Amino acid sequence: MLLTVLLLIPFAGTLALLVWPSSPSPSRLRQISIAILAAQLALSVLVALQFDPALPGLQLQEQHSWIPGIGLNYALGVDGLSLPLVLINGALTLVSAVITRDIDKRPRIYFAMLLLISGAVNGAFLADNLLLFFLFYELELIPLWLLVSVWGGVNRAYAATKFLIFTAISGMLILGAFLGLALLTGSVDFSLTPVLSDRLAMGGQLWLLVAILIGFGIKIPLVPLHNWLPDTHTQASTPVSVLLAGVLLKLGTYGLLRFGLQLFPEAWARIAPILAIWAAISVLYGSLAAIAQTDMKRMVAYSSVGHMGYVLLAAAADTPVSLLGAVFQMVSHGLISALLFLLVGIVYRKTGTRDLEVLRGLLNPEKGLPLTGTLMILAVMASAGLPGMAGFISEFLVFRGSIGVFPVATLLSMVGSGLTAVYFLLLVNRAFFGRLAVTPPSGDAEADARLDVQLAPVAPRETIPALALAAGIVAIGLVPSSLGHLSEAATTAMAAITAGVS
Amino acid sequence: MPVVSQDLVHANLSIDREEVKRRLLSGETLLTDTPDHVLEVVGVLESYGEVLDAYSINLIYQAEHQFLNPFPLFKYLDGDLNPAKIWRHLTHNRINFEYAEYCQKAMFWHATGGLDAYLDSPAFADNCRRIIAAKRRRDPLLAILNPLFPAFLPELIRSAATTHALGQFWRVMSDLFLDLAAAERDGRVRSIPQVVDFIKDGLVAAAANPIHYGVMIQGERFWVLPPEAGLTFLVDVAVPYVEAVFLRGMPFLGTVSFNAQAQQISPDQAKFTYGALYADALPSMGAGIPPSLLMQDMYRHLPEKLHQWYRERTRGEGDVRVKICMSFQKSMFCVTNAAINGTMPHPLSSADPAAQAANAAYADAWAQRLGIARTDCLAA
Amino acid sequence: MSNALPLPLQLIWLVPLYGFSGMLLSLPWATGWIKRNGPRPAAYLNLLVTLLAVLHGSLAISEVVQLGPQHLDFPWFQAADLNLRIGFDLSLTNLAALELVTTMSLICQVFALGYLDKEWSLARFYALVGFFEGAMSGVVLSSNLFMSYFLLEMLTLSTYLLVGFWYAQPLVVTAARDAFLTKRVGDVLLLMGVVAVSSWAGSMEFTDLYAWAAQAREQHLITPLAGTLLGLGLIAGPMGKCAQFPMHLWLDEAMEGPNPASILRNSVVVTCGAIVLLKLMPVVAVSPLATTVLLAVGSISALGGGLVAIAQVDLKRAFSYSTTSYLGLVFIAIALQQPGIALLLLFAHGLARALQFMSVGSIIATTNCQDLTELGGLGTRMPATSLAFLVGSAGLVGLLPLGGFWCYGLLVENLWQLAPGYAAIFLLTNVLAAANVSRVYRSVFMGPAMPKTKRTPEANWLMALPMVSLTVIVLLLPAIMQRIDPVPGIASFSLAVAGAVLASGLVGVLLGALTPLDEFWSRSRQPLVRLVQDLLAYDFYTPEIYRRTIVSAVASLARFTRWFDINVIKGAVDGVGRLSLSTAEGLKLTVSGQLQSYVLTVILAVVLLIGSLQVLREVG
Repeated sequence: MLLTVLLLIPFAGTLALLVWPSSPSPSRLRQISIAILAAQLALSVLVALQFDPALPGLQLQEQHSWIPGIGLNYALGVDGLSLPLVLINGALTLVSAVITRDIDKRPRIYFAMLLLISGAVNGAFLADNLLLFFLFYELELIPLWLLVSVWGGVNRAYAATKFLIFTAISGMLILGAFLGLALLTGSVDFSLTPVLSDRLAMGGQLWLLVAILIGFGIKIPLVPLHNWLPDTHTQASTPVSVLLAGVLLKLGTYGLLRFGLQLFPEAWARIAPILAIWAAISVLYGSLAAIAQTDMKRMVAYSSVGHMGYVLLAAAADTPVSLLGAVFQMVSHGLISALLFLLVGIVYRKTGTRDLEVLRGLLNPEKGLPLTGTLMILAVMASAGLPGMAGFISEFLVFRGSIGVFPVATLLSMVGSGLTAVYFLLLVNRAFFGRLAVTPPSGDAEADARLDVQLAPVAPRETIPALALAAGIVAIGLVPSSLGHLSEAATTAMAAITAGVS
Repeated sequence: MPVVSQDLVHANLSIDREEVKRRLLSGETLLTDTPDHVLEVVGVLESYGEVLDAYSINLIYQAEHQFLNPFPLFKYLDGDLNPAKIWRHLTHNRINFEYAEYCQKAMFWHATGGLDAYLDSPAFADNCRRIIAAKRRRDPLLAILNPLFPAFLPELIRSAATTHALGQFWRVMSDLFLDLAAAERDGRVRSIPQVVDFIKDGLVAAAANPIHYGVMIQGERFWVLPPEAGLTFLVDVAVPYVEAVFLRGMPFLGTVSFNAQAQQISPDQAKFTYGALYADALPSMGAGIPPSLLMQDMYRHLPEKLHQWYRERTRGEGDVRVKICMSFQKSMFCVTNAAINGTMPHPLSSADPAAQAANAAYADAWAQRLGIARTDCLAA
Repeated sequence: MSNALPLPLQLIWLVPLYGFSGMLLSLPWATGWIKRNGPRPAAYLNLLVTLLAVLHGSLAISEVVQLGPQHLDFPWFQAADLNLRIGFDLSLTNLAALELVTTMSLICQVFALGYLDKEWSLARFYALVGFFEGAMSGVVLSSNLFMSYFLLEMLTLSTYLLVGFWYAQPLVVTAARDAFLTKRVGDVLLLMGVVAVSSWAGSMEFTDLYAWAAQAREQHLITPLAGTLLGLGLIAGPMGKCAQFPMHLWLDEAMEGPNPASILRNSVVVTCGAIVLLKLMPVVAVSPLATTVLLAVGSISALGGGLVAIAQVDLKRAFSYSTTSYLGLVFIAIALQQPGIALLLLFAHGLARALQFMSVGSIIATTNCQDLTELGGLGTRMPATSLAFLVGSAGLVGLLPLGGFWCYGLLVENLWQLAPGYAAIFLLTNVLAAANVSRVYRSVFMGPAMPKTKRTPEANWLMALPMVSLTVIVLLLPAIMQRIDPVPGIASFSLAVAGAVLASGLVGVLLGALTPLDEFWSRSRQPLVRLVQDLLAYDFYTPEIYRRTIVSAVASLARFTRWFDINVIKGAVDGVGRLSLSTAEGLKLTVSGQLQSYVLTVILAVVLLIGSLQVLREVG
């Protein structure tokens, strides 16, 4: 029952917001949404408390027939792979509601969509049935598309359309694979039992797996399927970017592990070497592309492309340590990229630009954004994998788990990790060091040094969510066993599936 | 929604050399006369006056009572060692006397003017010899160090002399600025020209004040700067002070690289433009900006009226110390203005062409230096 | 077992935490929460916790002297076959290194109180120094590779933050970045080594790694190529930390940071790097090539650094390159299996170099200048500073019977038979170092006063007191060294060797004393001399070489990726998009189209899905 209640909270909230009789003010709507999402987070924590980390399989399971004719069951369950993601979803949707300000256009729909996304994502993580997963997976698309296309930047139409087309294709491929599975095995059992060669020949497995890989590869995104991400991020508002990077991309990597690795263990083992190379290419490509960016947000978006590549590498290597690393990387990337987008959002709101050729000296203690700058340094260092923060232990587990299986791809990915420091230091040193300025250098340093700069101050309440995220990043970095404890049994079991079949 | 960056940036026009000269010769003030400027200048000078009072007392205390003390642990306590005061110092709930020392160092290091010339004179060397002889009798450490490092103690005595002289200078300035605030409250001063005149009159009145300094060693008085040296307030101390602190200044570690290969700092100190009139206020309170200490001290003594005025502007309390720095720069232009007016060779009203030419030459010399200063702060 | 240990040893994990807690304690001032009062309490609190660290360390030493070496560890993270632990190796050597770190940190913090007395961001500085100290204390005590790596990276971060302390200074903007990136190159290579060795050997404890390495060599557990790569990866980290060619650039750039941090960096940070190398050496020995590389790097750094140092006009840089040179010597000693002497040299170098840098700080604070050509005549006026300079320099150079002399003697004695070529490198480095300090002494302390040195009273007591204390320590150093290394004793070398060291030092001093000094901002008129002068003054054009190779390679790759991303990938996507948009016109998929139509599409899709499944089921 617990999981159903967890799902009901945001969906009921969505409904309540949409049919609310009077017309509440935007700030009232925001408060209501925050309350609902806080309740959701509290319940997620309760789920975590009920969860027994020692058991590898699904727990708190619920099973109801829905449309048995087509194999669609209402089946929920949570394990060590999905639980951290449910918690991250709870935390980050709350953060994005908290940081939503100045919504004057249709606030009611905005917050309803936010809640809807949160519920749909949770549903996808908890679904224990392929079709149910797919329904939730699709359910989150429309609201996100709306959030970008209605509340986005100047070029939102282009970005939203692109997002929609890409993710629609992703959905079609995934659905195609699921249906294909039914077609090829001739049964409509959409439960999550591994498909082995006694049920389906290798050729068929490979076809389905490739469809799944491309489908989720778009979502993650992996190079060259990533093109929608930077555009969507640059046009999306800050809370939406936080959601997109922090939570929605994780659907892709979750799908990869759950419906790629776990569903087709044999085929997965067959193509794992290719996947490892793909991961390395994705990592290096994302990092190199990020170096060349001058828009802070685009830079962070490309860094996501690079950092999600580690998850593919870990999944390809498929060892207990690497899979645990994958879970860590999903969680830490969620927290770190959310923090980065949040901080870039603050800079953008205060200065009106994200251009690294314009911004300088934002660390100025009285007239600049010193706390934002300090947290930005923390965030980029975490992203670059500095110890003491979540990024390091995640990368370490991924690399340590993968190097024995795919040494070359792992070493290349580590080069990508080194490149992260390059672009993020470019960002920090350009935008935050030097004399404060928010105009392009005129070429006359004397004249530039006479420009006064009037930036609005950052209120403490604006930085509280960032501080909370930073605290989470440091906490995982210093006490990783907290997270490792939750997931280890599940990831070890997952690695054992493939180890058993190959 | 994000604001267009042009709205966030604002630069007043600077005035050029010709305009500076014109204003000086026409008797117009450098700073535009507006009620806001009067409020800023008088208010900031009032808090500056209170801070200078503390600086002055402490510098004189250091020069007289911490003279050649190798471990002046309590040099900022003015001889008052009660636990409450020590606690306030431990929690740094105090005036930043380090900034007074910084100004002293600037003045000493730039080494210009009459006081400095006296420090190199044979008469001063004699004074030093007497003082060192007296000190050596009681202090074995000095007795060993002095023959090995013969220039060591004289240099410290020179430094103490500058410290004391600066203390005396600030005594006068502190009283003058506090009087100015009182005059403004009484309604005697209502405009910027009146502010400049008030300061000028104060400087002229104190111009001939003698500067002297003696120390007590074992109950015996020794002159460091004897009255017969004939050092006076305006020419021998005020002018070098303006030169060292308002104009030349010293490079800030926080904004200039000291790397010799980068060659960012001129080898000629006379070409330095790091002084108060050239300073960029924006980085105040950042790392490596020593005047931040002064801004903090003035912030703690800010008159309520001015504080309220700051609160209503830009970030309010958030960037109040940068605003203090901006106002301070304006007031320093007023003080410079008053000093120039007070030292003009002839009255501006003089009809004599020779006098006019002398005035013009004098104003031009100043305009040359002020033309590249931060005159953008002068507009309304 | 560990319960039986005396309290100072049981609680040894507190030692790194003192430094880190100093950072946390500084936060209220560093972040500006406390606005009316100044930042000094942060400094006092940091001094207090550092003092605690020093005291705790000395208690631990006295216990270990009685009980012998101890080992303590705690679990940190465990998953599958991975077991990451926090381990402390309480040997006398490690604890002596710890005392060096904490004592130097304490002395530097007092010095900084004087040097940065006009610094409003004092609390941030102390927070960073606390962080720095915590990380270093951990590195020297660490008993496993993972923890060493973890803390070395923290050192990289704190170096970046300390160099970036004056963040608004134009050269700092690039210097901090480059310092971080150069170190990071070494760190990533080291991480590759760490990850690989962890996967091969399982345990990360140094002792287990030694056993594995011995086994690997005998039983050929890994291929020679893998062994070589591993060795190279492992030495890359210490190379970066110790500022060895070609990763020495950061130390030059780091000189843009505040002087008290430079003191620590040039003395104890490089020492930490070398100690990690010492601990890694048995593993590195798996690869003979890595040892050869170590020797080559050490030799090039020793001689190259020494030469470049002589050509510097910047006071700080003249000595930072000399640090590179001395650490080159340490590398050679380590590579030639002389760990004991390497440690002595590190110890002697760390203290003397710190003293030298303190006197440099005092000069900069007094004269506002670090250009050698603009300095002069300070000798008679600044007793503490000039004594500190003289004693510090004498402690480094092999001439007077201070630390440097005995180290040179021991090394030359031991290498003379084994590898005479390296013994010659040691003597040559001594010549260069002696020449460097004597030419700097001439330009700074002798001659007439220059405009910027006309008014130079001795530095304030907060700088003078630590300088004088450290001067005394450096003077007493030979006695301390004798106690640390009683067998065979620091004087166990022949008279001939002593003569050779003495002669090399003397030649150096004469060279430095007799060559003409640099004129202000000028270069020689003879083309050949000028060529060599520029080559050395600009550090063999290393920054330029970096710019033309690695930096430009990464930049062009990045530009190419961007071009590819825009023209190929985005181009293809947009092309397909246009095509599909024109066909999807009926569905009005553009944003100007209605939401309803999309919802309709989705519903249609769902209906289609259910229908097809139904059909499928009937077929099945």
